[in-house]
Amino acid sequence: MTRVLEKIVRGRMTKGIVVPVAFVILTIVSAGAGRAEDTGAVSASAVQAKTKYCEVCHGADARGFLGYYPIPRLAGQQVEYIENQLKGFIEHKRANTASPTTTNIMFDVGHVLSPAMIKALATNFHALNPSPVGGAPKDNLAAGKTIFDEGVAGTDVPPCASCHGAQGEGNGEIPRLAGQLYPYVVKQLTNWSKERAEKNADVMAPIAHDLTASQIEAVAAYVSYLK
Amino acid sequence: MKWRLMKFYGVGLASGLAILAAVCAGATYAAAAGTSGVAGKMQYCQDCHGISGQGYRGYVPIPRLAGQQPDYLMNQLRAFVEGRRPNSIMSNVAHVLSPAMMHALTRSFSRLDPPPLGGAPRRYVARGRAIFQDGDPGANVAACAACHGPDAHGHGEIPRLAGQLYPYIVKALTNWSQERGRIPSKPDTSAIMEPVAHSLTRPQVEAVAAYLSTLR
Repeated sequence: MTRVLEKIVRGRMTKGIVVPVAFVILTIVSAGAGRAEDTGAVSASAVQAKTKYCEVCHGADARGFLGYYPIPRLAGQQVEYIENQLKGFIEHKRANTASPTTTNIMFDVGHVLSPAMIKALATNFHALNPSPVGGAPKDNLAAGKTIFDEGVAGTDVPPCASCHGAQGEGNGEIPRLAGQLYPYVVKQLTNWSKERAEKNADVMAPIAHDLTASQIEAVAAYVSYLK
Repeated sequence: MKWRLMKFYGVGLASGLAILAAVCAGATYAAAAGTSGVAGKMQYCQDCHGISGQGYRGYVPIPRLAGQQPDYLMNQLRAFVEGRRPNSIMSNVAHVLSPAMMHALTRSFSRLDPPPLGGAPRRYVARGRAIFQDGDPGANVAACAACHGPDAHGHGEIPRLAGQLYPYIVKALTNWSQERGRIPSKPDTSAIMEPVAHSLTRPQVEAVAAYLSTLR
């Protein structure tokens, strides 16, 4: 590559157009090199600083936090799921809020992260296991458990457990739901198609649409207490 | 005579309205706190915190309380009493307040909505807006809006920042760890802001404070 560039620059230096072209190529080459470095290892101190930054919003030990928005629990979350969501934010396939006028905070957060950093963060968050934040209404936990374990009889709503696991632990790109914030789960299921178009999001779309508001609340309350 | 009468009615009407306002504001807690007591205490708070709780530049910048989240105000008053937030004046002010009075005052201030006091440098408002709404992810500065809301009106124990005094925000962010969460055995919400305050540079602090001070 360098030799080709040299040839271009030396051979046609006098021809005005080629010089800027060479610079453009050089820029692309160096940008590519920068990106290649990013896929390498990240330092432990950089990961630690970034983890602290994530936890400003996602709560101590990433257990989730009720900010202006409900900010989801990342603790214990599946590594592949976190990777897929960050990709969704970066590609503008997953919106941050149902409101198009609001800044997509997670786009800004996600697009400066290298793949190696994403992997390191996701792995660290997966290893955490603080107790759930709690605070969900407890009147319909039994109804929530029935929906989670058995689905909704007479409708197309399947048991959540069949994909998310008996304890809501998730698997790969299927998220852990155990201990997730009640208002966050309610918001996601209510606004599904307005917010989510990342890879695999279409799996949940018909289910989210079929659930009634009270069913959503019941199942969200149930999963929020799972450990 | 006519003028005197008008003046008499005027004063009567004004104090009537003031009492009515205090009654509405304190409704639930009025019985416990005493309605006239709440109105008097509101007046006392506003001697320093400015007319309608707008904030005031005294010897130190005295924060705006108007429109503030009641849960935030409650937590701060308790922090002054417990020494989590060391401030000799506010510790003295707060420790004589009954819980009922605190409730009545915090709810009354949360309902006020005067315009911002203003007076901040306008030059970096746009830069401040960008930091507030998006943060500075490359430098690990979280987006303020995620917790304080895109309108900066706050939520629960997370304070409203809209219309807050420029020098007050600059001072709070600059001295965060010296002024907040000073009792390690009693960790509070202020711990969340610690890494954010530390990661902001001085120009970023000034820019975001200038932006917030203009918001309604």
